[in-house]
Parts: sequence; C-alpha cells; structure tokens
Amino acid sequence: MRKAFHFVFAPVLLWLAYGILVQAQADRKPVVIERAPLRFIKDPNPSFSAVAVDSDSNMLVVSDENMFRIMEYDRRENTPPQARLSEPKRIISGTNTKAEMICGVYIDPKTKEIYALNGDTQNWMPVFSTDARGNVTPNRALNIPGHPFQMAADEGQQLLYMTIQSDNQLSVYRKQASGGEKPLRTIRGNDTRLEDPHGLALDLKNRLIFVSNFGNGNVRGTGGRYGTFAPPSITVYPMEGSGNIKPLRVIQGPKTLMNWPAHMAFHQERQELFVANDADNSILVFRASDEGDVAPIRVIKGPKTGIKSPPGIALDAKLGELYIANMGTPSITVFPATANGDVAPSRTIRGGPAGAVGLMIGNPGAVGYDSKREQILVPN
Amino acid sequence: MAHPQIAIFARLANGGQTPVRALYGQASKLSRTMHDVRYDAVHDEIVVPVPYAQAILTFRGGADGQEAPIRIIQGPKTGAIGSRLDVDPIHNEIFSYTGNTVTVYSREANGDVAPIRVIKGPDTQLKRPYGIAVDPVNDILVIGLNSNFGSDEPITVEDTESLEKGGILIFNRTDSGNVKPRGVIRGPKSGIIRINQMQLYPQKKLIVGAMPGIIDNMEPEGAFLGVWSYDDNGDVPPKWKIPANDRTKLKKPFGVVLNPKNKEVIISDMRNQGVLVFSVPEIF
Repeated sequence: MRKAFHFVFAPVLLWLAYGILVQAQADRKPVVIERAPLRFIKDPNPSFSAVAVDSDSNMLVVSDENMFRIMEYDRRENTPPQARLSEPKRIISGTNTKAEMICGVYIDPKTKEIYALNGDTQNWMPVFSTDARGNVTPNRALNIPGHPFQMAADEGQQLLYMTIQSDNQLSVYRKQASGGEKPLRTIRGNDTRLEDPHGLALDLKNRLIFVSNFGNGNVRGTGGRYGTFAPPSITVYPMEGSGNIKPLRVIQGPKTLMNWPAHMAFHQERQELFVANDADNSILVFRASDEGDVAPIRVIKGPKTGIKSPPGIALDAKLGELYIANMGTPSITVFPATANGDVAPSRTIRGGPAGAVGLMIGNPGAVGYDSKREQILVPN
Repeated sequence: MAHPQIAIFARLANGGQTPVRALYGQASKLSRTMHDVRYDAVHDEIVVPVPYAQAILTFRGGADGQEAPIRIIQGPKTGAIGSRLDVDPIHNEIFSYTGNTVTVYSREANGDVAPIRVIKGPDTQLKRPYGIAVDPVNDILVIGLNSNFGSDEPITVEDTESLEKGGILIFNRTDSGNVKPRGVIRGPKSGIIRINQMQLYPQKKLIVGAMPGIIDNMEPEGAFLGVWSYDDNGDVPPKWKIPANDRTKLKKPFGVVLNPKNKEVIISDMRNQGVLVFSVPEIF
C-alpha cells in the first residue's frame, strides 16, 4: 500500500496540486490599485532643447522637451523683467503630431515649414506648415531610426544632413523625403571617429561638414562591438563624403574647453563655428580652419549671460545674432554674433519665471532609491 | 534626449522642487539611454549602464556634479552592454545583457573584463531582454522581454498581427549556459506587451515590473505597473496592478523602485517626464 502511494497516488496528487495552482494563477483577478500619487516630481516649465530662427519672417521656433511642444515666438520678443513669461504665437503638440522628444528644429527659408527631429521615443521627423497648431497631423514625416540630434540643410542641393547618435553616423536625405525613404548616403565606421555625434553645421562655401562628438565610441571589431571613451571633439568631413572615411581634421584637447559640445552653427562670412557647450554653460567660437588642441577665439560664459545647460544654438547671419536654447532655465537668450566673455544677452525670451531652475528630466527610463540618504535617483 | 544626467531628489520632493544634486558632464562619462540605475546600499555605490559607450559605471554613493566614476567596465573582452542592469551586493556580481545573452560581471571589476558567466541559447527563451533584476536572498534572476515593435520588423502600431509581445523569464540566480527558465509569464491575461525596469522584493518573493505598452504609442492603452509572484508561471495576470489612467496620473511607466521602509512604490514615467510616488502598503 505504501509503495502504491509513492508510485501512483503521490504523483497524481502532485499533478493535481500543480494543476490547481496553475488554474488559480490563470484565474487570478488582479487587485487594481487606483489611487492618486502621494507626490509627483515634474518640472512645470518648458525645457528648451533646440532653436531655429528666420529673420525674414521674424519666426523663432523652439522645441520643449519637457512638455513635448514646438513653439513659435516672434524673434523680436523680449520678456519684460516683471512678466512671468512670454506667450508663444502658436504651439504644436499632441499625440497626432509625431513630435515628442524634439531635439532639432529647422525653418525652410522659402516655405517657412517647420522640420522637427525626434531625438528619442519616436523615429520620426515631422514637417509642419505655417498654419499648423495644436494637435495636428504633420504635412509629411520621414522615418529616421537611430536617434538623430541636429540637422542642417543644403538648400542649393535640397539635401538634409543629420547626426545619428545610436549608430555613430551622419545621414544625408533628400529634403523632401518622407515615409520610409532611406538616406542617399551615410558616413559611418571605425575610421570616421564619429563618437556619439551631436551637433552638425555646414560650410556651404567650402563644402565641409562640422560634427561635434561627446566622445562615446562604439567600435565594430571582428569579435563584436565594444565601447570606448574619448575626449569630446569636432570632426570635419567633405560634404560629398560617404562611407567609412577619415575626418579631414579634428579639433580636440583640453584647450578647446569642450564639455558635452552639442548643437553648432556656422557663420559663412566670418568663417566661424559656434558651439553650444552644454556642461560648461558656455558658447565656444572656433575658426573654421582650426585643428588640434586649440583654444576658442571667443567664449560667451558667466553669470551675466544667463546661459545654463545649453544644448541648442541658432545663428541669424543676416542680423548678426545668436540664439541660445537653455535647458537649465526656461529661456532663449540672444547675443550679438561677436559677443565675448561674461556679457548680458541683448534679449531674453522666457518660457517660465526668471531664475527658474530646469529639472531637465528627459525620458526617465529608470529610477533608483538611495536608502541611506533617502533620495530618488532619476537618470535620463 | 538632449541632456544626459542623473538628477537626485529628496524623497519628499514634490512638484517642481529642484534636485539636491545631479551627476553630469564630460568627466562623469554619462550619456543618454541610461535605462537603469541601482543604488548598492551595502557598498554605498551608484551603478549605471551607459550603452552609448558600452560601459558600466560605478560612482560613490554621494557623487555630485561633474564627478568621475570610481570604476568602469568596458572594452573588447566586456563586449556590448545593454541599457539595463542590476547589482547583487551579497555575491558581488553585476547582471546585464547583450543581444539575447545575459552577462554576469564581477561587481568589483574595473577595466576590460569578460563576463564570469553567461546565459544564452535556444532553451533560455531569451529574446530581446530589456528589464533585469536579481534577488540574492532567494537566488532568483528575472528577465523582462521587449516586444518586437521597432526592433525586428518595420511594423506599424496598427499592425498587431505581427506584434510579438514580451514577457517575464524567471531563472535561478546562478544559472549558466543554455538553461530553461523555471518560469515564464507571458500571454494576454498577463497584460504584458513589454517590460521595462523591474525590481524584486525578496521578503514577499514579488516581481515588480513597469509595463509601458507599445513603444511607438505616445499614450498607449493598457500601460500599468504590475506585481507578480516568483511562483507564477504561464499566462498569469499580476497580483496587483497600478494602471495608467487619470486617477493614478500614470501615462507611460518606464522605471520602478521600491522603498520598503516607507511602503512606497516610486515610478518614473516617460510621457509625464516625471516621477510619481505611491503609498502601496498592501504589497510590503
């Protein structure tokens, strides 16, 4: 009888118990916890990540990464000190727009259409007409995999150049490309020294591409991929370049003062390259011909400037003005292109109260808890 | 995402309250897509993956500003690093993944080191691992899987026919090679489309995972934070869930961490660009 239990009844009982357990799990009704959060950490102000300007139409277009908005201001706007903020002329935002984490904007000089680059969460570059506002569907949208960061146009050739962060790549598209259209050509590979490319500017006269790199390398070896860290750099390529090409020259080294060099702008006549130097709260200006470990010829930096964590920069060469998008405080600061040192901006367009500090939470994919200090860790 | 950083807030921070400190800048070696962060309370360290440089960085627990990491795991032997990890401070190991392979490194490793063991192969059911969490007390390793949206095929949001949903695989902590998971939670009743950050609660043997829905949807239907048991297996609904809706204010939960002392669940939410703290005493 005892043997019979071991060999027959026990397995049957176990099988039955397992079956009951599995069925109970499958039939489980979840306890739904529907309650408001105790606390909600959220920046109430915009976080300006990119800026574009067109002085012919007085358009100033900025992207707000915090509230997923594209906003148009009059470029002549100057928020009075006593005002809480300046209201934009229009806002494009919502789930129909294909615009979410926008980190690059461009204004078509002829049509005044707005091109918006999603740097994260959406693989789209939507294009909006001059009358677009609210939660609108874009006129067209181009699928761009791999997290682009900044674009620049060659209007003569009707081409769009952009940096692609994930693949350490530059991509060149037809300006009117849409849907799943592929790039006409790319610059990519171990020889390119593209290392987490961010900013991109074009010297249309000398047919050169300038690219700012954070320095995060991704080597494709025979045994697979692996990473490297390098100092930040600006690498220079021919505009017609393609494939795994070496840069024509590289600006890199401690004298350059680069610290997360982000968006860039190029002044054709002055042959100067402007760099939004995010982690140094500064704007660096280099000569177009610079190479190696060189100091910038001008640096806009200091408490009077109001520059704080600037990823975005735009140049109005016609009127000689620089527009800086600050994420560390909700403002666009405007300077003469020749500004140098700790100088006050000629105008400031605020999207929030003066002195507001940006939380700069962006696509928080995780959260941690420091139980010793009782603090919440939020990585972007 | 234009500005990489680890912002650090007081536990009681609320609204637009500014962080008490932040790690950022060239010296920190941080970069975007840090989709995990772990505080190792035993050694007072912060551990974070930086997939753009294929590295795992370890900082002092009190690190602040433009501070350099104290250890870096990176190089040809290390290989590619995924965007998530977890730390086992008891057995001194860091768990991450690359491709469809789970990789385990020595916690104290520094430089170009190879994994000390891997889990990979057809029996493992590892496909697009995305969330990862380890329980050093009960010797459990849990892997959250991503859906194929935006990764394997150029499918659209409406193309649900070809949407291969994710799930949760449960392994033993010391598993190695081509091993079968001891449990697989997957299927329509589970509600899982993909799993992002996960936490384990050893005292109650619970798996807590953020389920943000279809990646391309800005405000997806059916997103939630789910709590399952280590013993769950098959198409099993969560024991508890905090759904995304107007009441909870959740929209697209990406990250989660537990604060057992105060019986709080802390959730980072992508579409809110913020962090929400819930009192959930029933799960602790």
